Amino acid sequence: MRPDRIAEHHFKAMGTTCSVFVEGAAEATLHRAEAQVRGLAARLTRFDPRSELSRFNAAAGGWVAVSPELETLLRESLRAFEMSAGLVNVAVLPAMVAIGYTRTLAAGPTQASASSARSAPQLPDVLQIAIGRARLAPGVGIDLGGIAKGWMADRMCERLGGNALVNLGGDLRARGAGPDGAGWPVGLGGSTVMLDDHAAATSSVLRRRWGEGLHHVIDPRTGWPAASGLAEVSVVTRTAIDAEIVAKAALIAGPELAPAFCAAHAEAWWLRPS
Amino acid sequence: MIDLRSLLLKAGATALTLATTVVAANYVTAHLKNPAAPLHPAVLTVAPSVRQSDVKPVTSTYAS
Repeated sequence: MRPDRIAEHHFKAMGTTCSVFVEGAAEATLHRAEAQVRGLAARLTRFDPRSELSRFNAAAGGWVAVSPELETLLRESLRAFEMSAGLVNVAVLPAMVAIGYTRTLAAGPTQASASSARSAPQLPDVLQIAIGRARLAPGVGIDLGGIAKGWMADRMCERLGGNALVNLGGDLRARGAGPDGAGWPVGLGGSTVMLDDHAAATSSVLRRRWGEGLHHVIDPRTGWPAASGLAEVSVVTRTAIDAEIVAKAALIAGPELAPAFCAAHAEAWWLRPS
Repeated sequence: MIDLRSLLLKAGATALTLATTVVAANYVTAHLKNPAAPLHPAVLTVAPSVRQSDVKPVTSTYAS
C-alpha cells in the first residue's frame, strides 16, 4: 500500500506498458506526461512512415533538417557506440528487417525469416551530425529503440519533480526518496533494489521473439540475433539511457566480458546465463 | 605351459590397459564441456551505493 501522496498512472505506449509515479502530482500532470511520451514516441518510431525518424531514414544519402530531440538522440547513439565498442549500434535496422522484425510485435506475430542477415556498418562511418541537421550514408537505416525509451524516461523523470519514477517498458529512472523515504523499490533480477537517484533496465532475449532463435537483440557484428551465452542482463546505473546501453552491450558481449563491463559502468547487475 | 599362461596374462593385462586408455581418452574428449550446462548461476551483484530490500517493488525492469 503506497502512501496517498504518491500519484501513479499506467498506460500503453510504444507497444509496451509505461508507468509514472510522482509524489503529490495532480492527475493533469500525469496525463500531460503520458501525452509527452506519446508525442515523442510518434516522432521517433520506425514503424510509422510519417514519423521524423522514418523520414530521416528514407532520406539516407542527403543532409536532412532534424529536430533538437532527434539530434540529441543521434549524438547519444554515437556515444552508445563508443561506450560499447560498437556492440550497441543503432544502424542495425536493415539487419532487423532482414530477419523479419518488420512491424511492432504488438501488431501481431512478425513473419519469421532467417534467410539473410547483414552486419551493421560502423556508426561513425555512416552518420554525420551538424547543428540542426544530420546525414545517413545511402542504404543505412537506424532504429533508436531502447535508446529512445531510456532517454525519454530520463527526460520525463527530470520534468516531474524531485520524487518521481518513470518506467517506459522496462527502461526506468527514479529520483528522490520514494514512497517511504528509503528510495523507490524496484524489481530487478528476482530481487528488490531501492533506487533514489538511479536508473535501471533489463535487456533480454527471452521476450520479443518471433521464431526459432529470432529475437530483437541484434549482434551488429553478425546481423543475427545475439547468442552470447547470456539470456538476460539487468543493470542499475545513474541514467536510464546508460542502463539501456550497458544492459544491451553486456548481453551481446556474453558471460566472459559482461562482468567486467558491468563492473566498469553499473552500480548493480544481474546476469542470467542462457 | 607356464610360459604360455604367463604370456596370456601379460597380453590380457596389456590389452585391458590399452582398451581402458582408449575408452577414457574418448570419454574425456567428448565431455570437455557440456554445452547445455549453465556457465554459472545468475547472481545479483550490488555496489554499496545500491541497497537490496524485502519491500514489495512498485514496478520492475521487465517490459510487458
